[in-house]
Parts: sequence; structure tokens; C-alpha cells
Amino acid sequence: MTDTQTDRQQRSEAQGLAHCSRSGDLAIVRLGAEDESMVTFTKERLESLDRIIGELIANPPKGVIITGPGPGMFAAGADIKLIQDVQSIPEGVEAAERGREIFRRLRTLPCPVVAAIEGPCLGGGFELALFCDVRVASDHSSTRLGLPEVKLGIIPGFGGTQNLTRLVGLPVALDWILKGKTAPAEAAFRKGLVDRVAPASRLLDAAVQEARRLIDARKKAPTRKLRGSNRWLTHLAPLRALVARKVRKTLETGQARFYEAPKSALELCLKAVTVPEQEGFDAEAQALGERIVSPSCKGLVHLFFLTERAKKLAKGDGARSVERALVVGGGVMGAGIGALMAGKGVRTRLCDLSLDVLAKAKGRLQKDLDKQVRRRRKKRHQAQAIQDNLAVSTEWGDLRHYDLWLEAVVEDLSLKQSLMARAVDAGLPADAVIATNTSSLPVDAMAHAVPHPERVVGVHFFNPPEKMPLVEVIRGARTSDAAVASACKLAVRLGKFPVVVGDAPGFLVNRCLAPYLNEAAELMLEGCEPEYLDKVLLDFGMPMGPARLLDEVGWDVATKVSEVLHEGFPDRMRKSVLCDAMVEAKALGSKAKGGLYRNGKAGPGRDVLQRLRRERGGAGTEPTRTEVIERLVYPMVDEAYRCLEDGVVTAEEDLDLGLVMGIGFPPFTGGITRWARSEGLDTIVAALERRAGEAGAGPCRALRDRATR
Amino acid sequence: MSSARHDPERTLALVAGVRTPFAKAGSTLEGAETADLASHVFREVLDRTGFDPAAVDQVVLGAAGPSAREANVARVAALRAGVPVDVPALTVMRNCASGMESIAEARNRLLAGEGEVFLVGGAESMSNFPLVMGRKLTGMFQRLAKARSLGARVAAALSFRPSFLKPRIAIVEGLTDPTTGLMMGHTAENLAREFAISRSDQDAFAMRSHRRAGKAQESGRWQREIAAMVPPPFRGAVADDNGIRSDQTMEALGKLRPVFDKREGDVTVGNACQVTDGAVGLLAMSEARAHREGLEPVALIRDHVQVGLDPARMGLGPAHAIPKILERNDLVLRDIDIFEINEAFAAQVLGCQAAMASADWCGQHLGRSSAVGELHIEKLNVNGGAIALGHPIAATGARITWTLAEELRQRGGGLGIASLCIGGGQGQALLLEVQP
Repeated sequence: MTDTQTDRQQRSEAQGLAHCSRSGDLAIVRLGAEDESMVTFTKERLESLDRIIGELIANPPKGVIITGPGPGMFAAGADIKLIQDVQSIPEGVEAAERGREIFRRLRTLPCPVVAAIEGPCLGGGFELALFCDVRVASDHSSTRLGLPEVKLGIIPGFGGTQNLTRLVGLPVALDWILKGKTAPAEAAFRKGLVDRVAPASRLLDAAVQEARRLIDARKKAPTRKLRGSNRWLTHLAPLRALVARKVRKTLETGQARFYEAPKSALELCLKAVTVPEQEGFDAEAQALGERIVSPSCKGLVHLFFLTERAKKLAKGDGARSVERALVVGGGVMGAGIGALMAGKGVRTRLCDLSLDVLAKAKGRLQKDLDKQVRRRRKKRHQAQAIQDNLAVSTEWGDLRHYDLWLEAVVEDLSLKQSLMARAVDAGLPADAVIATNTSSLPVDAMAHAVPHPERVVGVHFFNPPEKMPLVEVIRGARTSDAAVASACKLAVRLGKFPVVVGDAPGFLVNRCLAPYLNEAAELMLEGCEPEYLDKVLLDFGMPMGPARLLDEVGWDVATKVSEVLHEGFPDRMRKSVLCDAMVEAKALGSKAKGGLYRNGKAGPGRDVLQRLRRERGGAGTEPTRTEVIERLVYPMVDEAYRCLEDGVVTAEEDLDLGLVMGIGFPPFTGGITRWARSEGLDTIVAALERRAGEAGAGPCRALRDRATR
Repeated sequence: MSSARHDPERTLALVAGVRTPFAKAGSTLEGAETADLASHVFREVLDRTGFDPAAVDQVVLGAAGPSAREANVARVAALRAGVPVDVPALTVMRNCASGMESIAEARNRLLAGEGEVFLVGGAESMSNFPLVMGRKLTGMFQRLAKARSLGARVAAALSFRPSFLKPRIAIVEGLTDPTTGLMMGHTAENLAREFAISRSDQDAFAMRSHRRAGKAQESGRWQREIAAMVPPPFRGAVADDNGIRSDQTMEALGKLRPVFDKREGDVTVGNACQVTDGAVGLLAMSEARAHREGLEPVALIRDHVQVGLDPARMGLGPAHAIPKILERNDLVLRDIDIFEINEAFAAQVLGCQAAMASADWCGQHLGRSSAVGELHIEKLNVNGGAIALGHPIAATGARITWTLAEELRQRGGGLGIASLCIGGGQGQALLLEVQP
């Protein structure tokens, strides 16, 4: 074997394990091999750490520094694939206990242990740091600390709930653990999660300095004491009970009630300051075991992988990085997209015929920025830079240096076509992306209008674009892979999840939503009250019931979408008579003077509903919850599978992610196809077939095939 | 011409320009500071031409009163406009001619071989001219900061007197000549007396300025120069100049009281320039480079001159600068198609006209044997001037140059001279050629 081969082999053996080296009277423990860019706690790594700690105990140095394999990485937590694999409670409990006990042995070392943190220090990684005596974090932008476990439906299991609560006090610990909050070094320092923030280039020096200080003082750890209100709210029983009651209440309201992990974490944090340490640790391990096998955890983990998968779309071949963009149309969508881009450092020019519209766009952005400055999320000069990034004008100017041209004007095909032609005339380079934020028009028809139609791609943001996390990237018949990849890359940069969909009416989200909303209208016409309907779907886990959703979308928009879909799929998509009647009565929804609701109470649309019910005659009976789900959600499942069948999307994963991010399908289900499986595909097929006799179109082949399989 | 042969590599061309609307101080643009105004025009001129900001060699901005937190406001504005960090920027200051000075600076650098492409202009937020706390109050705070013991602190605090709170008004101090103690208006009164310019002559000149600017506004001429702006605090768009009064009358002007010499004077707010916010941004490069970039030069800068004169008669700056630039280029007054002379005061522009027409004055001050000549009003400020549009100090020099260039282009080419008087006793002029 040559030397380099030996080196390589040694290096590959070193991968995935922790290492220890001595430097004078100090020991430096690195959590991974030098060339590892990602550290997660696999079984092997934990055991290697255990061996190292054993050796250190046997032959103790004066001090220990624990750090990542190199710059930009500490430890990102447990391996999420392993979380998915745990199938029984005892298995989960044991894994938690094992990890915690390995970390805990650091405490039995007679010398100070200092964590030197740069890069992700999350979940198990942060729990390891919590067992150290001092935490020093680097100010590098890659540094993030926190316990995000609840976002995956579990709780911190390696002592995190107990140690963090004792370190920073109950209110702060609850704020971080229950929300799964992660933050950069400075914010963590302000709340006491780390003891010192050091410049990136001096991180190790700072850690050594901290160790020396303790060594010189002949101490293992600094003495700590909670201060101010934090102290009283943590240690005074009545105040603590008050905090607990308030938090419990918020965890029982809204969508929070579907998630067990934060509730469990709350009880564990309370235990941290009320019961002996061992009892707290035991309870934590037990809770982790219970959470890790729950369907909610498996669903959320599934969803996590889907988001990772969506982010990878940004790395497709030919993905162009957008540095300059022109957005045409300064309405809610255009202004929102422009503001998003400006916020992420894209030099954006927002154009509209009306200066007043443009002034409103700048005004809205400023309002949002002011809020962020007040909440200390941004500094004044950062807000100013974002505002500077967004130029507004009635003039497009010369487009020769632009990477992206995007239109968000009214849904008028010939207008969009002429604007695209104008963009080409204004010098837009042949390789720049031409994007349309259409929600209902075919991308192909627009591509005809321009030379190099392969650069035309649909980028469908949802309203309001600042908040909605999904972007449908529409691949027309001629759209190039590079254009799709560029659109995905932009979406990811803007903090959105892209899902690539085919150029068919309604694309994915609106198409799946249509039968659901249509049936909702139908049920209401049959006599079902909007409040009841909304409550059933809220209990199902939707963020908003269908009646309120229709109000929010606006009945005029809903009518338009229905028409487009009816045109596309005349045999199964219908426009409800309620739509037309609501538009006619000008009960357009929350953007106008109310629809079915007005400020949470019955709105002007109720009269319309009453009239139509009377015209139909015979009030139906209130449907059961099961009936409502069968009539609303089952057809949505069917339509989702039809999208798969028609090639609008290529995988079930797209359906899962698209509907969770696009319409808020309950995340804890892991997505619509996973929910459908838990409900039973055959049950769904049977119900749809039953309905087919009355009104529905019957289940599609893709769904039936999967049911019989 | 001074340069015997025309060398496109060494001739500065103005390629594009925009300005903000000119808004009376304390009105629509009051929320914008100098850098806000300047970065807007810089970005607009770049976006509109599609010129790559990275290809700019130097940014030069005229600014007479930037705020303390943006001392080199050219750099702040350039970065905020998206000009890359490796492009240097400098702020120039020659009072009222600062905007013109930015063009002269670019030309000098081109001639010195220090770059080919320049982003130039001028910006002034007169709304944001501060009230400054006096030296006494500053001194008290310094003593307070230095005080270590309680006693020292109390002593420092007790040194406070209510008079410390009397602010110094930057705009008043800035418009007062420190060597003669005269306010700019007083120097205009001097000219009115020396050249026997009556109040009604001054008012008639002012009215003409408003009428001409108003006509230009109606014809949409200003709209071609203006890039509408949504200034901080982002509550609305500003698209038009707001100082122009197309319906100005002699009667209304006659009613105004003199401001500077309240008993015997003629200079009123009506026949003086307005106090205004605004900025101008121009893209300038060598003529040869413009052709290489596929850009059409609008105007070529043939020459520029600066002169110095008696600060008490600073308004005569153009009467010194214009003859000098003519002479340097072997031209006479009639060779020039149109003139822009900044209207600091009606009396001052009329004074310049009278001085140049006077053989006596020309003999005495310019050492000439004859008068420079009659500068006909039909050739002067054909679109009105600062009396109507306002005079954002450092922006005006760039504004009249660009207005002159645009006007010559519309007329199918020709020669033009833009000139300003400068507080402190200077004059500046720029000779511009628009090729047919």
C-alpha cells in the first residue's frame, strides 16, 4: 500500500467517530474526523465518545475542550433516519438513556469541560454541550443553537429538558424547547444558553482561556444563579404554577392541541425544578420512547425528509442564481414577491403602471420592516438595505443584466404574452428566466409568445406570498430543466418549498382544493351550517375550515378557479351555484364586506345561503363528522391521485408536501397519502364508489390500484 | 476650441441623466436624506441605461450639506444604489456649483487618465439641514463625560445656562458668507443697486421663470428628466416638481415684502430661488467608451472653468466665468445657442446680463477693451430656472447642465453654456456641445 492509500484508509476509518488528542495538560475531543462536514449522533459515534470519556476518566487531564470536527460544524443532533427506525417504546427509552448516560459521564470528570461551538449545535449536539461545564460559541454565521426536537414530534431525550431548565430557568427553557427554537450565538448568549461568544478565528483560544480560568481557580464549573424574574418564576411554586397553567392553555388551543410533544416537554421542564435529577432524567427517557413511536412523530419526520427533498431541487443542473429581477405588477402578489426577493438580497425592480400601487408596495414592506426592527429581528441599516433592494418605477429600463423577469399581473393571457414580448425587446438576455405567477393560465400558451420558450416557467406563489410556504413550479411542455431548477432555486432562497408540477388546469393545489371546497358548498346548501362544517375540519387538523377559507380566498376568485377547472375537467369539476350567488350578492369575503362570515360572526352571505336552501326545498339533516370527512377529504385524496395519474406530479411525496404546505393539510399526518393509508385506501375507494352512484365521479385508477395492492 | 483636435478618448460625454422631482423643503421629499435622494437617481440612471455598475470607474457626487452620519455621502449613495464595493466614490463641495463640479471632476480625471466611466451628480436635502447645538452645550456634555467624581459631575451640570439651548441654524449659517458677514440675499441687493435693477425688473424676471417652467411642465418636458420616487417614510409617490407657479402674476409678486434688507431692499422670496430638496444623477464617460458600449452620447463637455471674485458680489460669478470660457475656446457670445445661468436671485442673473453688456464693467473687471455682449433673454433659461424649480444647492449645477443638454438635443444640436454663481465669491461655467 502506498502512503496516500494508507492515509485514505485511515481517514475513512476515522469517519463517523469522535477523536481525542492531548495538547499539554489539556485534552481536545473532536466529535468527528477532520474532513467530516456533518456530525450526527450515530450509535458508533456515541460509543466512540463513551470510550474517549472512559479514557479521560482513567487518566484525567487538567481540562477538556469538546469541539466539532472543524470549522462550521459542531453536532446537528441525532441521526433522523434512526428516529424513523425506532419501532417500540423500550427501544426508544433505551436509546435515550444510553446517550444521556454517555454525556453525563462528563460530569464525573474531575476537571472542567468546555464546549467550543461553531456551526449547528442542535438537538443532541446541544444536549451534549449542556452537560459541559462552560459553553463558548463562535460568532460565525453558521452557528445555530437550540433544541428543535418538538418539530419532529419528539422531545429532547439526552437530558436537554432537565439541564436547560436548570441552566436558564423555566420561562426561557419553555420558550426554546416548546417552540423548538434555534438561534445564532448572540441570541443564545443573551438568554444564557452559552457563556461566551468568541470571534470565529479565536474560538479555541477562548475555550482554552475559559478552561484555564477554572483550572487556576481550582474549580470544575462556574457557580451559576438565576436572576430577576426568571428566578422567581422558576423557583417559587405559585408563580411556577401560574406559568404552567398559562402555557398549558395555549397548548390546548388552535392547532397546537394536535401536538403531544410540547405538552410532554412542558411537564418535563416542570419536573426539572421539582423532582430529584434522576427522576427527571427517567421521565424524560420514558417520554421520548412514547413520543418516538407516535404516528405524529413518524408523520413529521416523513415531512422533514420531504422538505429536504424539496430543497435539493434547487441544486438541479443549470440552476441560475438570481441576483437581479424585474417584477411586473405591483398588486398583492407582485409586491409580496418583490419584497421577499428584496429581503433575500436580490436587486429587484418592481414595475406597475400606477405609482400609487408602487408606493403602497413600498409602504407595506416598510411596515413589515419596522415591525422586525421593533422586535430586534433586524437592525435599522439592514431594513434600509432591503428597502434599497426594491426599486419601484413605472419604467422597466434596460433589462440586459437581469437574471429573472417575473409577471404577476391580472390573469389575462394576451396581456401576459405581450408583456413577455416586451421584456425580450427591452434586452432581457436569452438565458434569463421568464416566470409567470399565473394560477390558472397555461404556461405553454405564454411560452409561444417569446423566442427561446424553454426559459418560460410558472412560479405560482400563494396568497399572501410572505407567509405561504409553498411555490408551485410549473413545467410547461417546452420548459427546460435549467429553467425549472432556477425557479426552484429562487423559491428555496426565498424560504419556500418548491414542488414541480405539470402545466394542467389548477396545477396541483387548486385542483385538489376544488372538489373539497365544492363539496363544502354543496353540504352548506343541503343545510349544514358553516360553523359546524368549519369546526369538523378544524378538529380534523386543518388550519381553517372550508367556509372561512372560501371567504379568505374570496368568492370571486373561487368562482374563477372553478370555471377554469370545469373547463379542464368538465365531467367531474363543477362550479357551485353558491359561488355565483355570492358574487352576485357582492358577498365576496373578508377582502370586501364579508362573505359567510364578517369579523367572525355571521356575514351577509348567510342570506344568500338561506335563499338557495329554500329554493331547493327540504332541509337536509346535519351530516356526521365521518360523513363530512368522507365527502370533503376523500374526493381530495382522489383528486390528488388523479394528479399523479395525469403526471401533474411524479411522486406521492409531491402530493404530501404540496398539500401540507399549500393548504395546510395537517402536518402531523405526514401528508395526504400517508393519511389516506392510515384511513385505509380501500375504505376511501369504497366510499367514493358509493358516492359515485349519487354525485361523485368514482375513484381514479391510481387510487384503486393502490387500494388493491 | 482649446483642444485643437477632437479626441474622443479624452472627451467626456454625458450619456444619460435623471433627477428626482424638485420639492420645496419641508414638503413631499422631506423624509429623504441626501443619500436617499442620491442613491435613487444613481440606481435609476443605471437601471434605465442597463449599464453595468461594476464598470463604473469612480462615483463623484456634489453635496453641500450632507448629514453628519453620511459625510462622504457619495460613497453611501453609491453602495446603496448597488454600485459594487470596489468602485471608489468621492463627494465634492463647491457650494452652489457642487453638482457641476462633479462633472468637472470627472472630466479632469478622464484627462488625467484616471478612469473612463463616471457616475456623477448632485444631491441636497435642504429639509434636513439641521439645527446645531452650540459650542457651549457641547462643552458642557464633554465636561460631564469626563467628570469622574460626583462633585465634578454636579459642577459640570451646574455650568448649564438656558442660553446653551439656543440652536445654530445650519441653513442660515450656510447661506451667510463668513468673510463678509453678508447673507447671500444681501449680495444680490448689492448687485441690484450697482446695476440699477428695479424691483419690477426682478419680479418680471421671476414671473418669466415660473411661466417658462410651467410651460415645460405642461409639455411633459420635465417628465423625461424625472424619475418618480417613493421617499421615506414610504407613504406615497412623488412624481412632479412642486415649486412651479404657472399662474404667477406681477401683482402677487409685488405684494411680497423684502426679506434681507427689510426697509430698502428688493429681494423677496418671490424673486429669489426656492429652498428645495432634490438630486440629479448622470452617467458620464469618454465619448469613445460610449460608442464602444453602444450608448449614444447626449452631450459632449468641451470645457469648464472656475473663477474667483469679490464675495460681496458673488452673484456676478457667471459674468466672470462665461467670458473666460468663451475666450479659452475662441468663441463669442453669439456662437452659443442657449445659456443656463442659475437663478440664485433675479437681481443676480440680471446683474450678470448687465455686467457683460457694459463696456465699462468689462474693461474694469475683465481687462477687455469692449463689452462681452448682450445675452438675450430668449437664449437664457428657456425652461425657467431655480426661481420656479428651486435650488437644492448641490443638485442645481448638474440639473442645469442636463436640462441644457436635453434642450439642445431637442433643438437638433448646438453649443450651450451652463453657469452658476457660487456663495463665497466664485463662478463656474461649462461649455457643452450636442452634435446634430
